[in-house]
Amino acid sequence: MSQVHSNLHRSALSDWWEGTRRTDIWWTLAWFDIVLRYRRSMLGPLWLTLSMGAMIGGMGPLYSSLFGTELSKFFPHLALGIIFWGFFSSVVTDACNAFVGSSNYLKQGYFPISLFVWRSIARNLIQFAHQIVLYIPVALWAGISLSWSVLLVLPAFAILVINAHALGLLLGLICTRYRDVTQIVTSVMQMLMFLTPVFWLPESLPGRAQYILWNPFAQMLDLLRTPLMGGVAELHSWLGILAWTVVCLAASTALFSKYRRRVVYWL
Amino acid sequence: MAFISLKNVAVNFPIYGAGAASLKKTLAASVTGGRFGKETGVTVVQALSDVNIELKSGDRLGLVGHNGAGKSTLLRTLAGVYEPSAGEFTRQGTVASLIDPSLGIEMDATGIENIMLRGLVMGMSKKQLDKLTPEICEFSGLGEYVNMPVRTYSTGMMMRLAFSISTSVEADILLMDEWLSVGDAEFTEKAEKRMRDVVSKSGILVLASHSPELIAKECNRVIHLEHGRIVEQ
Repeated sequence: MSQVHSNLHRSALSDWWEGTRRTDIWWTLAWFDIVLRYRRSMLGPLWLTLSMGAMIGGMGPLYSSLFGTELSKFFPHLALGIIFWGFFSSVVTDACNAFVGSSNYLKQGYFPISLFVWRSIARNLIQFAHQIVLYIPVALWAGISLSWSVLLVLPAFAILVINAHALGLLLGLICTRYRDVTQIVTSVMQMLMFLTPVFWLPESLPGRAQYILWNPFAQMLDLLRTPLMGGVAELHSWLGILAWTVVCLAASTALFSKYRRRVVYWL
Repeated sequence: MAFISLKNVAVNFPIYGAGAASLKKTLAASVTGGRFGKETGVTVVQALSDVNIELKSGDRLGLVGHNGAGKSTLLRTLAGVYEPSAGEFTRQGTVASLIDPSLGIEMDATGIENIMLRGLVMGMSKKQLDKLTPEICEFSGLGEYVNMPVRTYSTGMMMRLAFSISTSVEADILLMDEWLSVGDAEFTEKAEKRMRDVVSKSGILVLASHSPELIAKECNRVIHLEHGRIVEQ
């Protein structure tokens, strides 16, 4: 059990691994975040499913007639769009609070900070699991036929989690030091929702506006949504996301290794 | 074998007021060539400076000093919360920190759930906890209340729970801010015995206190802190 805890000499990598390895801690913390939030409601976390279902059910018919698209084609597109966007946006905005929201732990003893980023990702994964089930009835109703290419959603999801973690470390650190950034991130995410084909169909974009499909969120959404609808994602989405992942990892590694032990001073 | 060594350790706190932490001011300062820089010039509080301490198994260190002398900061530094801004800090052995036992208590969770949460965070595994939980419940003397949310507890009951959880770990290094004493007469007696136990099992004890009698009774070394410096060993 005894080991040298010279915090000055522990490498960033082993610090990161120490936080990642303790799955039991961050998973339990995340689980309790959800359980405690809904403790006094009768339906509990099922509310996550219900409120998302109400939103999709309400918007589907309206937007399909607004855009003049057939409902059976539009409904699965919208359902996956809203569910995935909800996941992206809460992962990003939660990341800003990852350390501030865990200050009661961080001020008490030594914790590798990656632990708290995993906690916030795990919490969002639990929420997401409650919402993605809604897609099953939608897909059955719309009669979507899946091919083997649907399996491509697995590597895409892995890339999503890697990005969520890297971005979480990055934003968590920046937002703890500069509290305004949280507000900036929230409004940027709101704007990005409209620049990403969450509601609208990418093919209805006029040719010269196609470049907005190059935003990383649109590419990530394409990688996750298209295979689940029986299609194959664009090649540029894979390339773009890979490039984005590299940038994200590099930036978060740099900040993490420099400031991981400074965070407590900023709380 | 536990040991702690601090060499010329300093801890400086940057104090970011509402103004200084804002991006707006930092940006304004950088684009205006630093003319507004004075406003963002962060106040730095030197909480500890030039601290040299060597501790090995068997040492019982008492920390004395006025409010704000740096006792708690030193304890937190030893716990690994603050990385020293300068100097060298080496520590070997497991650490139990009884600095503020009620800090991590979740009000909406039940007593049992709090035992689980706190236990995990203090570094125990789920298996160890499954074994320890009945013993902790029993010790806390909360009876059926352990299945109720903590927000329904009285202050005394909450302290009993916090105390029972945090004293259930064995560690080589024990960090304490004042002696923990909680509850009614009957529980105080039990708690006192438990504290003795924990203290006698630990290799190193660091105890910050305002009570000279307590320090004289528990410690074999005393450090007097003033304005973040050791004035007397």
